[in-house]
Amino acid sequence: MDFIFDYISVRMFWRILLFIHFVLAVVLLVAVTLQSVAVLMPVRQAAGNFIQRVRAAPPTWYVPLIVILYVPTFLLGAWVYVKYRTYVRIPMEQLGHWWTVGSFEFKEHIVAMGMGVLPAYWYFWRQPLSGDNAAVRKWLTIFLAVSVWYAFLVGHVANDFRGVGS
Amino acid sequence: MTQTLDVSERVTQPNRSSHATGATAATTAGKFGTFAITFGIAFALLYTVFEQLNWPLFTYHPAVGKVDFWMQRPRSGEGPPMYWYGWLALSFTGAFVLGWIATVVSSQWLYRATIFCCALAALWLAAYTGAIFIADRVSFDAEFLKSVWLSAIPALVGAAVVAYLLPSPQRLWTSLVLIMPIGCLVILGYSLKSYFMR
Repeated sequence: MDFIFDYISVRMFWRILLFIHFVLAVVLLVAVTLQSVAVLMPVRQAAGNFIQRVRAAPPTWYVPLIVILYVPTFLLGAWVYVKYRTYVRIPMEQLGHWWTVGSFEFKEHIVAMGMGVLPAYWYFWRQPLSGDNAAVRKWLTIFLAVSVWYAFLVGHVANDFRGVGS
Repeated sequence: MTQTLDVSERVTQPNRSSHATGATAATTAGKFGTFAITFGIAFALLYTVFEQLNWPLFTYHPAVGKVDFWMQRPRSGEGPPMYWYGWLALSFTGAFVLGWIATVVSSQWLYRATIFCCALAALWLAAYTGAIFIADRVSFDAEFLKSVWLSAIPALVGAAVVAYLLPSPQRLWTSLVLIMPIGCLVILGYSLKSYFMR
């Protein structure tokens, strides 16, 4: 790993990792949001404006993308978390930003739960879709969307405290 | 015709005959489904227990790049320890093993055992919380009520009754993959209240 630091600084290395984590998170956020819209407000007719076309898209489209994106976003976040623990959280505590610290602690838990239900989410969306599991499938999708949105917003707040562009 | 309709058409109808004959996990969910659902339930439960008891598989000290087996308290000059990786490692391993076991045991046994474990976790917590509430309010000395193991007795009985008497365990077993992570997040969130009440 150290050979990388011959070309870029340690600070730049972590900023690049954080930026890649951010980009993956944005794409994941778009995918879970579009799937949630398609699941919660499905329409039969694709005609109309952009929103109606999104609602008419088959929710199964997004499943491989979400599964493929969730895992590296989680792993990259877990890697960057090392820097958060030593470089960000300590000054946060010293300055008394307890809400941010507590919210980030909860982020750890919610993304971990998301990883835990990911195999089941994948299973429930496999073709042919089972009518028996429609409710669980729908709410698992919403659960994942909530976890991704929460993680994104809290991560953004932490980044604003001490991260890329702060 | 839109693709939404195509998807809707591909949704299979509930298999009524399998309900009538008492479907097995293997026939209705398949091996991967059984593994995935059990993994989801077990991971939520194990992660919460390990986090609450602070049982990480290992402790990472990022400031010095050192890894210690199990839980190690912060040491002078070594910076803050990180337990999250250790909880994850233990929970993923445990959930993987339980998920694999689920694919080889009989479905009826799996449903009942899963419901028993989930009910035990919920009832134990409820009994322990209730016991502490009572012990803090009665006029006589009731410190013995604060024993974790004493609370386990009514929880065990209650969980056994629930697991035995539940009429259709398969439907609940499937729903637990959603109920358990949400319930566990409530507990984990509540345990963080000190951050939000300063």
